[in-house]
Amino acid sequence: MTEHPNVTIAADDGVVVASLSGEIDLSNAAEITDALLVGVPNEALGLVIDLSEVSYIDSAGVRMLAELDHRLGWRAQALRVVAPEESRSRRVLEIAGLERVLSLDTTVEAARTSVQDPSEEPELPDG
Amino acid sequence: MTSPVGIRGDRPGVVPRISRDDLVPILVLGVLYYAAARLGLRLAIVEDNITPLWPPTGLALVAFLRYGWRLWPGVAIAAFLVNLPITNVPAAVLTAAGNTLAPILAAWLLERAGFRQQIDRVRDVVALVGLGALLSMTISATIGSIALVLSSRIALDEFWGAWTVWWAGDAMGILVVAPFLLCVLTWNQVEPKLGLRRLPEALVMLALLIGASVFAMWNTGQLLFLLPPLVGWIAWRFQLRGAAPAVLLVSTVAAWAASRMVGWFADLSLTEKMLTLQLFNATIAFTAFFLSALVSERTRARERLQRAADDLEGRVRQRTSQLVEANEHLGHEITERRDAETKLRRSEHELAEAQDLARLGRWEWDLGSGTVTWSDDLFRIHGYAPGAFPMTFEKAVELVPEEDRQRIERNLAAALAMRRREVPDIEYRIVRPDGELRALLGRARMFFDDAGSPVRMLGVVQDVTERVDYDRQHRIAETLQRALLPQDLPMVDGLALAARYLPAEVGFKAGGDWYDVIPLVGGRVGLVIGDVAGHGLEAASVMGQLRMAVRAYALEGHRPADVVAHADSVIRVVAPDEIATMTYVEVDPASGAVRFVGAGHPPPIAIDAEGARYLELPKQPPIGVAAGWAYEEFVVDVERGAKVVLYTDGLIDRRDIALEEGLERLLAAAGRDPGRPVEAVCRELITALVPGEAADDIAILAMERLRVREAFRFRMPAEPAELARMRRALGGWLRGVGVEPEDTNDLVLACAEACSNAIRHAYGPGAGTVDIEAHRDDGAVEVVVRDFGRWRQRRGQDGGRGLALIEALAPSMRIERSERGTVVTMRRTLRGAVSV
Repeated sequence: MTEHPNVTIAADDGVVVASLSGEIDLSNAAEITDALLVGVPNEALGLVIDLSEVSYIDSAGVRMLAELDHRLGWRAQALRVVAPEESRSRRVLEIAGLERVLSLDTTVEAARTSVQDPSEEPELPDG
Repeated sequence: MTSPVGIRGDRPGVVPRISRDDLVPILVLGVLYYAAARLGLRLAIVEDNITPLWPPTGLALVAFLRYGWRLWPGVAIAAFLVNLPITNVPAAVLTAAGNTLAPILAAWLLERAGFRQQIDRVRDVVALVGLGALLSMTISATIGSIALVLSSRIALDEFWGAWTVWWAGDAMGILVVAPFLLCVLTWNQVEPKLGLRRLPEALVMLALLIGASVFAMWNTGQLLFLLPPLVGWIAWRFQLRGAAPAVLLVSTVAAWAASRMVGWFADLSLTEKMLTLQLFNATIAFTAFFLSALVSERTRARERLQRAADDLEGRVRQRTSQLVEANEHLGHEITERRDAETKLRRSEHELAEAQDLARLGRWEWDLGSGTVTWSDDLFRIHGYAPGAFPMTFEKAVELVPEEDRQRIERNLAAALAMRRREVPDIEYRIVRPDGELRALLGRARMFFDDAGSPVRMLGVVQDVTERVDYDRQHRIAETLQRALLPQDLPMVDGLALAARYLPAEVGFKAGGDWYDVIPLVGGRVGLVIGDVAGHGLEAASVMGQLRMAVRAYALEGHRPADVVAHADSVIRVVAPDEIATMTYVEVDPASGAVRFVGAGHPPPIAIDAEGARYLELPKQPPIGVAAGWAYEEFVVDVERGAKVVLYTDGLIDRRDIALEEGLERLLAAAGRDPGRPVEAVCRELITALVPGEAADDIAILAMERLRVREAFRFRMPAEPAELARMRRALGGWLRGVGVEPEDTNDLVLACAEACSNAIRHAYGPGAGTVDIEAHRDDGAVEVVVRDFGRWRQRRGQDGGRGLALIEALAPSMRIERSERGTVVTMRRTLRGAVSV
């Protein structure tokens, strides 16, 4: 499956940007995972998942992000997740403790830059 | 009213046929009539046939009343013969016809009027006087007077005088003679019987009456007033059996005195004499019979009253004894249960001891020589006398069924192959000579020589049949009961419901408790809690049948009292020796009217803002005890937010504390924190009252009448695709009850996590439902998510992510997992301030 109603994929300069929208829960997380994996070619540097337009996400989405990170890691591809400050998605990811595992950005541009030039990224966010 | 004295069936209007058998009675009647007429004529005042008292009419009437009017020829012929000497043939024929017709008419009229020959009612007296005497006798008087005129015995202008005398004489004949004859004929058909001990009284009165009448008649009449009170007294003491003879006696004396012109009659003219005599006789007769009938009526009324009172008293006594019996039965039952428990515990202990000591058999197998030695006990365990036959290994395993034998051999082979000293324990069966199967537990140890070859085996065998049976029974009863109890509670508008069933942990005790929730028409719901006496498979199966019966009757729309009464009939049929206690409750969530019918069950608890109290229902016997008991309902109005808790006695009836103390503890536990939801009530009651293992089954069913606006109830199919709809519904409700957006989002998220877990873990694909309940009290919202499946996977990494989220969002989360499903309760204190 390459297309999913909740997923819009755009590839540019070796970075795949997937904009998600709507609600992500148990009913669609697995399909979205598949759509994203298919949407990232082997030669791509990494994947940016933009959650800005997501109205609801729960542990199914969290699980999805964790799994994507794992799978892309095998391919030496980076995963960055865009979740604006104060957004609902951000709160869920924070509560779930995902910000300690995943790299979160507040804008797609910042994320894209980080994928293209990982060296510019500080090793860990300051505590 | 049918007279107890049969009037032989001559129907009015049907001319009776005279048979040959009637000839003798006709003849007898004729002779008697003739004799009575001759006697009457001796009392004649004028001529030879004008007499103030004509006894034959009374005789004829009684004969017709008792034996039917086909005896008329006797009367007719006798009357003809009596009259013939006084007149010519045609006049005698005419007169005889009148004398016959008048009593026939009288008898017919009296029968139609329902006249009783005992003359023990006022209406009988009135009928006799009015219809029998005054009316009917106009016939004989008219015909007789016409005959007198036609035969020229009297002139035409004397007609009315003759008529009057004739009529009065015949009427008096009826009034004076008929009651006497009837009284004699019905003497033994009247209650009360007169015994000999009343003879002296009767004789004294008879003497007094004769003396008084003779004295009064011969003493110029001034003393005549003595007679009415005397006759009245006799009538009062003896009723008809005194009144009728007295009237006959007084009238006869008076008539005789008048005809002999003696006493006070001496100075009177003929007319005056007739008039005085008739009036006197009529007064005496009427007064006497009226009084006697009145007394009889009153006596009967008093007897009826007495009988009714006796009957009532009898019924009260019966009911009371039924109640006492029910109570005793109940007490007995409780004692019996206690005794049985004690016995069971003791026998469990003894069994263990017996197995440890006597039921332990020992054997030794010398592998070199192949000889096997059994201890005496081992022979006994196998059902043989000690040393019954020489033992070998082959012989020993012959007693074991094929498949178990193979297991033993495999076990042994494995032990030999691995050269292990300890042979693994093995449970196997043996067949005793009488065919009985026993379960044995074998333990053995192998001994090796220095070269490492096995030389000898030593073993012990324990008979564990009872323990195996016991475990199996316990397991089956518990499984059966679980299968029979409702798998999930229905959602009822306006009510929150929660239930718990806790099987007894030990013994054969699982079985008899049940609860049920039955949605009825009109939004009402039936709640049931019950306890079939006894335990084990039998009780569980009775319980299952009762539950279905109660369900069926409730669904048919019977009143609560009738539902219980029907359950009572059902238990009599399905298990005549069993009894059960139960409480049936019909709740109308809209009005709050709750109708209770208790049948020997512990009292329900009502919880409101002020705390908990027992609802003292009217004491009524358990079902299966008092056949036909009219169960009564007890109606309580339950406020919104108030709760009712039903439970079985396992919750209060514990061995280590008295029943009263159990009840007090329960009330105290129930009254704690009255605002908590019903799930919490069930949970905390069990925590508070059953700290260890449950010794008896426990069932709890709790209900809260919700503050409608503040409750959210949602049932979703356990499908991921349904989650979004649930989130919207819950979110809408939360906003509707004024919860701020952030709290709303967090609560929706927490709830969705719990639902997702239920969907992922509780059910297979496409099966089951998840129930969500939420309500808001002052500063908090509680969300309860319930599934009814068995979690196939314990909290693992995946489920853990969801749970971690819930814990972060609603720190007071609680998870209860049981075989009936999982309940996740999340409570979140609201911030009350606007946030992002």
